[in-house]
Amino acid sequence: MAPPIAAFGSAGRPTNPAGVGAVPTAQTPGAAPRELSLLDPAIVARIGSIELIARAVVEGFLVGLHRSPFKGFSVEFSEFRPYVPGDDTTTIDWKLAARRDRYYVKKFEEETNLECHLLLDVSASMAYGSHPVSKLRYGCFVLAALAYLMHRQRDAVALTLFDEEVVDALPAGSRSGHLRRVLARLSRAAAGSRSDVAMPLERLAASLRRRGLVVLVSDLLDDPAAIIEGLRHLRFRGSDVLVFQVLDPAELTFPFEEAARFRDLESADEVPVVPARARRRYLEEMEALVARYREALRPADVDYHLLRTDRPLDTALLAFIAARGRRR
Amino acid sequence: MTFLTPAFLLGALAVAVPIVLHFLRRERLPSVPFSDVRLLRGARLEQTRRQRLRELLLLALRVAALLLLALAFARPFVADRTEPRDVATVVLVDTSFSVSAPGQAAEARALAHAAIDAAPAGRLVGVAAFDDAARVVAPLSLARAGAHAAVDGLSPRPRATRYRDGLAAASALLGDRPGRVVVVTDLQAGGWAGGTGRLSAHVEVETRRVAPPAGNLAVVGIDREPSGTAVRLSRWGGSGENARLTIDVDGRVVDASVHQVAPGESTIRRPVVLPASGVVTAAITDPAGYPADDRRYRRLESASAAVVLVTEDRGRPELYLERGLAPVDGAGAFAVVAAPATELGRRPELLDEAAVAVLVGARGLGRAGREQLAEFVRSGGGLFAVDGPAAAAAARAGLLGADPGPAATRTHAEPLALVSADRRHPLVRALGGLAGRLGRSRFARTAGLDAADGAVVFSFTDGAPALVEHAAGAGRVLVFAADLRNDGNDLPRRPEFVPFLHEVVGYLAARPAHRGEYLIGAAPPGAPGEPGPARLPGAGGPVVMNVDTRESAFASLTDEAFLASVDRLAGGTAPAEPGGEAARPREAARPADPTPPREEAEQALWRYLLIGMALLLAAEGLVAARTP
Repeated sequence: MAPPIAAFGSAGRPTNPAGVGAVPTAQTPGAAPRELSLLDPAIVARIGSIELIARAVVEGFLVGLHRSPFKGFSVEFSEFRPYVPGDDTTTIDWKLAARRDRYYVKKFEEETNLECHLLLDVSASMAYGSHPVSKLRYGCFVLAALAYLMHRQRDAVALTLFDEEVVDALPAGSRSGHLRRVLARLSRAAAGSRSDVAMPLERLAASLRRRGLVVLVSDLLDDPAAIIEGLRHLRFRGSDVLVFQVLDPAELTFPFEEAARFRDLESADEVPVVPARARRRYLEEMEALVARYREALRPADVDYHLLRTDRPLDTALLAFIAARGRRR
Repeated sequence: MTFLTPAFLLGALAVAVPIVLHFLRRERLPSVPFSDVRLLRGARLEQTRRQRLRELLLLALRVAALLLLALAFARPFVADRTEPRDVATVVLVDTSFSVSAPGQAAEARALAHAAIDAAPAGRLVGVAAFDDAARVVAPLSLARAGAHAAVDGLSPRPRATRYRDGLAAASALLGDRPGRVVVVTDLQAGGWAGGTGRLSAHVEVETRRVAPPAGNLAVVGIDREPSGTAVRLSRWGGSGENARLTIDVDGRVVDASVHQVAPGESTIRRPVVLPASGVVTAAITDPAGYPADDRRYRRLESASAAVVLVTEDRGRPELYLERGLAPVDGAGAFAVVAAPATELGRRPELLDEAAVAVLVGARGLGRAGREQLAEFVRSGGGLFAVDGPAAAAAARAGLLGADPGPAATRTHAEPLALVSADRRHPLVRALGGLAGRLGRSRFARTAGLDAADGAVVFSFTDGAPALVEHAAGAGRVLVFAADLRNDGNDLPRRPEFVPFLHEVVGYLAARPAHRGEYLIGAAPPGAPGEPGPARLPGAGGPVVMNVDTRESAFASLTDEAFLASVDRLAGGTAPAEPGGEAARPREAARPADPTPPREEAEQALWRYLLIGMALLLAAEGLVAARTP
C-alpha cells in the first residue's frame, strides 16, 4: 500500500535556500486528474514507446508533485553554495549571480553516488492479467519510470531480468545511452518460465561492492521464506531495499463465478475449483501472504509496497522518492 | 444367494450410465489460466475435495440404486438346501375310480409302499387317501408298519378325483412342521375342478404316477326316445373289441346286444320302450377299463312336470320351443303353456303355476307385463329371454342390471358357432359332451348382448356372448343371443337342441332335467357312496346314483403342470381349469422344482431391495440439493 504522502514531505525536505524549484501550490497530487491520467496504466499502455511512457509518467508525476502543498521538496539538485576558487565554472548559476551579484554554484551532492539496481521478475506468473495491463507490463512501466527519474538525477542504474535464472542484465550506468539501453531491455521483456526470486537477491548481495538502492518488482508468488531471507541479506549488506509486489486485481478479489479447472501459468498444474466455495479460503491465503511479507520486511527496514495493476503508477514513484530521500 | 430371474441382473450394466455421465461432466469444466494455483490448493483440499466427495457419494448412491433395482428384478432368495431335522412325509394315495382299472390299484399301492420306504429313517411318515373326499388312514408315526398296513387296505372307490381336498388333508396332517407330500395318482386332469382346500407353503410336493389303462369304455347317458332307448357311450383308447350292452329295468334284463364301439362318443339305439316309471340300467362290458363307469342308472320320470310359459311373439306359435319341451309319449319334465306376450300383465294367473317363463320377442309386452315378469323372477322363477328384443324387454324390466339399451342385430357372412365359456358352470357340466357338439350349429344372425353384469356361459366363436346368466332376486335369467325359430341359425334343427333346451329350462326351474338322479359326491346327505338305485329320506321315491363320467376320460396332467397347480394352490391362487393344464404351454414351461418360487415368495427380498433403493434415491436427492 502507498505510504501517506506526508511521510515523503518530512523525509525529503529540500535545502534550497532560494526556494528555487519549490512547489507552493495548494493542490494535492490526487486532485490533478489531467496530468495524473498519464499515471493510469491503462492509458499509459496506449503509448507505444517505453521511453515516451517513462517520460510521460515521470513528468506527469512531477507536475502533480510540484503542485502539492508540501513545500521545499526538490529532486532537481541538492543546494547552492558560494563559489570558491577552484570550482568548476560551468556549475555557476549565472542568473542568480545577476540577481545577487555574487557567484553561486549548483551542488549535486550525491548525483553519482547512488547506484540503483532494478530487479524485474519475468517469470510466467507475471504474464497474468485480467485486464489490458499484465503484471509484467505494469512492472516494466514502473521500472522504466524509475530509470527515467534516476537518469534525471544522474543516478547509476543497473537492470536485471530474471525468472528461475537471470534472463538479462545490464551493469550500472548513468549516461544517456545507458538509459536507452535499460528502456530497450524493458520493452523487450517477455514472460519466461518458473520464478525463483531468492536467486537474484543472493547473487546481487554477493556482488555488491558499495551501498546502493535495490528495487525489486515481482508478484512474490514464490517461497516467502526464501524471498524474505534474501531481502534481509541485501539489507544487511547496507543497501536500501524497495520491494514492489505487483498483483492483478483478480488475484486480490478472486471474482470468478463458474466452476473451472485453474491452470497454473508456471507449472501447468490444473486444480478444479468451485469459486463460490473456494473464494473465502483463497482470499484468506492471499491476505496471509501479503501480511507475511509486510510484517516480516518492516522490522528488517525493507520498504514493501503492494501495487495493483489497475491503480496509478504514482505509488511506486512516491515510494521511490521517499526511499531516495532517506539516503541523503 | 440364488436368483429366480437372473436375466434381470444384466440390468446392472446400466450403472455404466451414471459413471460415464460423471466423468463426462468432469471433463466439461473449462480451463482458466491463473498465475499461481498454490493458493487454491488449500481451498481445493477443503472445498473441492468436499465437493468431489459429494460427487463421488452421489455417484455411489446412483450406482447402488441401480444395482438394487436390478437385484430386485432378479428376485433373489437364499436357497435352503439343508433338510429340516423334523421333516415328515405324507403319502397321499389317489383312490378315485380312475385308478381302478386292472393292475392300477396294485401299482398305486406299490408306489405308496416305495414312498414310505424312501422316507428318511427316523422321520415321521403318514398316509392319507383321497378321491372326492380325503381321509387320513395312517397318522404320522415313526413306525412304518402301520403306514404299510394302511396302504394295503386302500382300494379304489367309485368317486371322482379332488386334488385340493387331498392336499389340504395331507397339509393338515403335517401341521406346522415342514414336510413332503408324495402324491400317488394317475394325474387325472379333472381333479382340480372342485374342492376348497389350501396347501401350507412349507410343504413340498412330489408325484408318483400310476400308469393309465390301455383303454376305457363308459356309459355316459341313457335317453328315452319315441322308438326305443338310446345309450350314450364314450371310449378312450383301447383296440375296439366287441362290447356287450345290457339294458335292464328294475333289475329285469330287457335287452342284450354286442357292439363294436368306436373311439370317442357314440350312441347305441335299442328298440326298448321304457316304462313310465322305474329304474333303467345300461351296462357295458369293459375288461380293460374302469369298472365303475361301466354301468349307468336312470330314474324314469313319473313326477309332475314343471310348467313352462312360452310367450309367443305376435301370436306366432314357437314350434321348435314347444315341441322341444313337449313330453314324449305323455311323460316329460315340462308342461308347456303358450300365451301371447300381450297377455302378460293382463292375466296375472298366467305365471302362478309356472316355474320358468320363456320370453320370445317382446311385441305387445307392456309395462305391467314387464313388472309381472320381474316380480316372477325375483320371487324365484326362471326367465329364458330368447333373442335381442326379449333381452331388451328383460333389461327394461330391471332384470339384467343396467339397461344396455336396444340390442343390435349382427349378421355374419361367415356363420358363427357356440363354444362354452365357463366349463365349471352347472349348465355346461350337465351337458357334458353335448356342450362340445353345440359347436356344430351355425349362427348367421345374432343379437349383441351386454354381459357386463352377467356371467357368460356360452359365447360365439368371435368372442361375443351367446348365453349370459343374470341373477335377479331369488331367481335367474338366461339370455340367448339368437332366435330359436330356425331363422338366423340352425340350432333348432340340430340333435343337440332338445338336450340343450331341457338343460337350460331345467336349470332355470332349479331342478335337474332328470329328477332323482345324483352324482356320487354331489348327492344330498344320506345318499349311498355306491352307484345304483337308492332311497333317500324325503325324496318321495327311488333315486339313482351315478359316477361322474368326467373321471372316465383319459386326460392326464404332466408332472410339471400338476406341480405348477400345486404351486398356485400354495400361493393362494386357484389352480387351473381341469382338462386344460396339459395342453397349456405356460404350464409345461414351469420349472419342475417348485421350491425356488416358493422360497422366493416366502422371503420376498425384492421388497427390501426396492425399499433400499427408494432410501438411496432419497439420500441422493438430499446430497444433490447441496451440491452445486
